[in-house]
Amino acid sequence: MKQKFGVKIMPREVILDTQGRAVEQTLRLNKLAAESVRVGRFVELEVAGTEAEARKKAEEIAKFVLHNPLIETFEIQKL
Amino acid sequence: MSQDADLKAKFKTYRINESEYKHITSLLGRPPQGVEWALFSALWSEHCSYKSSRVHLKKFGKTITDKVVTAQGENAGVLDLGFDEKVVFKMESHNHPSFIEPYQGAATGVGGILRDIFTMGARPVVLADYLCFGEPTAKRMPTLIDGVVRGISGYGNCVGVPTLTGQTNFDAAYNNNILVNAMAVGLLLPGEELALSKAKGAGNLVVYVGAKTGRDGVHGAAMASESFDENSDAKKPNVQIGDPYFEKLLIESCLSVIQKKLVVAIQDMGAAGLTSSSFEMASKGQVGMKLDLSKVPLRDAQMGPEEILLSESQERMLLVCEPGKLADIQKEFDIWGLDASVVGEITSGRKVSLWWRGECLTEIDPDLLVENAPMYERPYSAWAPKHQKASLPAMSTDAKTWDLKGQLGTSEHCDRTWIYRQYDQRVQARTVRGADHDVAFHRLPSGRGLAVTVGCRPAWMKRDARIGAFDAVLYPSLQMAIKGAEVQGLTDCLNFGNPERPEIMSEFVASVEAIADVSIALGAPVISGNVSFYNETLGQNIISTPAVGAVGLRGDVEDIPHDRFQEQGSTALLVSLAQVRTRAGLTDFTGELDGVGVAAKIKGLSELVQSFKASEILSTQMSGRGGLLLSVAKMSMDGVGLAIEAGFTLEDLSDEVLYQMVFEVSPAAEAKVQAGLKKLGFDVQKLGVTQGQRISWKNHGWSIDEMKTSAREGFGGLLDGIS
Amino acid sequence: MKSIGVVRFPGTNCDRDVLEMAEAKGFRAQYLWHLDQFDTGAFEALILPGGFSYGDYLRAGALSAKSPVMKSVREFAEKGGPVLGICNGFQVLVESGLLPGALVQNTSRRFIDDWAELELVNSHPYFGKSGVSKKIRLPIAHGEGRFYASERDLDAIESNGQVWLRYQSTPNGSMRGIAGVMNQKKNVAGLMPHPERALYSWMGGTDGWGFL
Repeated sequence: MKQKFGVKIMPREVILDTQGRAVEQTLRLNKLAAESVRVGRFVELEVAGTEAEARKKAEEIAKFVLHNPLIETFEIQKL
Repeated sequence: MSQDADLKAKFKTYRINESEYKHITSLLGRPPQGVEWALFSALWSEHCSYKSSRVHLKKFGKTITDKVVTAQGENAGVLDLGFDEKVVFKMESHNHPSFIEPYQGAATGVGGILRDIFTMGARPVVLADYLCFGEPTAKRMPTLIDGVVRGISGYGNCVGVPTLTGQTNFDAAYNNNILVNAMAVGLLLPGEELALSKAKGAGNLVVYVGAKTGRDGVHGAAMASESFDENSDAKKPNVQIGDPYFEKLLIESCLSVIQKKLVVAIQDMGAAGLTSSSFEMASKGQVGMKLDLSKVPLRDAQMGPEEILLSESQERMLLVCEPGKLADIQKEFDIWGLDASVVGEITSGRKVSLWWRGECLTEIDPDLLVENAPMYERPYSAWAPKHQKASLPAMSTDAKTWDLKGQLGTSEHCDRTWIYRQYDQRVQARTVRGADHDVAFHRLPSGRGLAVTVGCRPAWMKRDARIGAFDAVLYPSLQMAIKGAEVQGLTDCLNFGNPERPEIMSEFVASVEAIADVSIALGAPVISGNVSFYNETLGQNIISTPAVGAVGLRGDVEDIPHDRFQEQGSTALLVSLAQVRTRAGLTDFTGELDGVGVAAKIKGLSELVQSFKASEILSTQMSGRGGLLLSVAKMSMDGVGLAIEAGFTLEDLSDEVLYQMVFEVSPAAEAKVQAGLKKLGFDVQKLGVTQGQRISWKNHGWSIDEMKTSAREGFGGLLDGIS
Repeated sequence: MKSIGVVRFPGTNCDRDVLEMAEAKGFRAQYLWHLDQFDTGAFEALILPGGFSYGDYLRAGALSAKSPVMKSVREFAEKGGPVLGICNGFQVLVESGLLPGALVQNTSRRFIDDWAELELVNSHPYFGKSGVSKKIRLPIAHGEGRFYASERDLDAIESNGQVWLRYQSTPNGSMRGIAGVMNQKKNVAGLMPHPERALYSWMGGTDGWGFL
């Protein structure tokens, strides 16, 4: 049994998002101004096991290497 | 909470002790209130006030010569190089943040030191780094090494300043406290304006430019004491994030407003952010300032005045301008997509008043915070050598001595190309010599070569702090001299452990005195610097590490001797001023280093080397760590080796001697070079004759190809698991 | 006399180096700002220098490719005017679709600073008319310089004679060792190495001198 999960990794709210700021600036210059832009990463994982087991495993993977807890948060989505 | 407990809690939060509290109360005539706690906490911190070191740093004042345009007290020192070219440089530490988050810690370290340079109107042209890591096998160490290198690379490359030189050391003493020191060098070219941080002129405006203020670094104090892996999101330290792209915009816009003479004063917001920049600008200018914190551009609208005052968000500057110039300034920043907002004005009194939504939070004399900061004379004892011996133990001919290949693959000796290949070394198109050389050279518009290198060898600091500190200046100065460059000025970054421990304070005082003494003898003033105390984790202190950045000058860039043997059949000379002798792995040493005496010979040496063509003195190198034979091996890495004279003994080849240098000279110039060196008081012996592909001595021989592979692959091998 | 236009984006950092190179070669040169469109008739050639335009955020060159100045650059290129992208400038031209392929992260996933040995595969009619040898040595400094295109596109690029420069030994994993390419009309060209950093012997090499 294989389960597919998505891991959404975003810069922590209080942390400056340098990429988001640069994209925001370009949009503004091109008159496509968005109120705010934040740039993160999305990772797809395929994990074996029941949904509960696999979700736990995915969480472990995300904590282990996918995100840096000092500057990022993550969120797991079932795909 | 009782009043007493409340006070104790405040002492802890703001890191103010009882005697400091009493002192503040007597200065104010009442106890501190509200944001005043935060102000005193920031400006009276060790980092901002230099309270444990100030009394000793005064010794550097004696090194100042008439070439110095401005020195300590400004963001960086400025030195006049003649031809209307001025050089601005400084070195700073970012040790603790780099240990917590190596990429951002190192990156913001580079960003901060660059701001100190362009704040003065100078365009940054060279970066250098001085790094000390723990044993490569220590916990987290490969990740730390990788992160720090990527951080320096990511920031320096993007901002467009070449990283041209550096030093990387490994020692178990840095396992829990790595050192990340960055040096930046900038130039003021003919006709360019020097900017200062002294605020002037009642009615002038205080303008905030650059990034918006966020919570970065606000709870920095918590970083040191808490482990953050398991903490809830709210308790995590707010790591400062650097944005080199934003910094590049700030460099161009700030240099532009300075060179167009639109600003009266300018200062970057570094440690303690807005607090230190505003109070220091007012105090230096002996003026008052009204600052409305509600006008500070915020990234997070929920921030209160105390957080705004303490934020260490990166890439921000504070400037003072005449009201009539504001529109021009805003236009200039707008070109680069940056905002410039008025946050206050200069007032005629002598007080700084802080306002928040129409209410005055405090009105305070900036001198109380800046000039009246405590100054501690921490206990120490006069320096006495502990490891000086009458002789060194006899050597046994163990296999290790002969295993050049093995030694060249170790962390201590392996090739650092793995690091420097990640740094852009040629952006700005002025690089003559980059990090693959002992001394970096940047070509000045006048056609002269600006030499940059860093010094301080922890192994010598461990043996003897006084010798080690002499060496921290002498070694880079000699490295320059044998390339024909004369050292012009110095900066330092004094990394030490806990200053409340007398033995560490003794090493600190001995180091400062040694650096000041040789600096005077060299005529190379200490024009800027930084002190980093409390490099102590779980009771373990680092090796005292007074890193030095040296800047030198050579009349041309065409005839600089190479670092490695160039041609077969040339003569290798061993040039010595042998005073102190030790051996790899030994703490003991013999002899005494006359630092001032060595310094006095350096100018002559650089002039002598410069008087020869690169076809006469082909290559030169210091005999460094690991002794003469290893130094010869490093000089052979271009494929030309050496047949060493049989008269040299095993000890001659293995001992580390302060000081010895190897010169490769053409047979035609040999007599003239020898005579010149002897006249300067150096001892000169013939070391051997260069030959192809091999190093040989008596019946021993080593293949260069094998050594080269080992040296090249060494660094990658340290970082198992990192690719 | 027409000028050489040097296009500046926020974050470009080799702009001065390229301007000085053009001046050293006897050209009049002037900067073109990313927000401005310009009169294409006033220029002899355009150069997009290296750097980290828009911080290289999102993808190297991606945000710059959308800036107003690129409208004029495209117009100039369509009229057959010579356009050169160096390093980040090459990335911008690729992101704009003015040059084929894509430039992705080096296989080592690290920034690489080094000297690269290169082979001139096909000469460019404008950039190099003062003489570029068959075998040259130029500095490289990039994190995202690996040239990528589908096999079919690569075959087409090769057979059309669009390969400009090839690495003797590929430092970044570029497909078929490609270091520089041209468009079909051969007026637009891009390369990852930096000719402006190899003009005088004190720089360590002079092979860049002939590129302008």
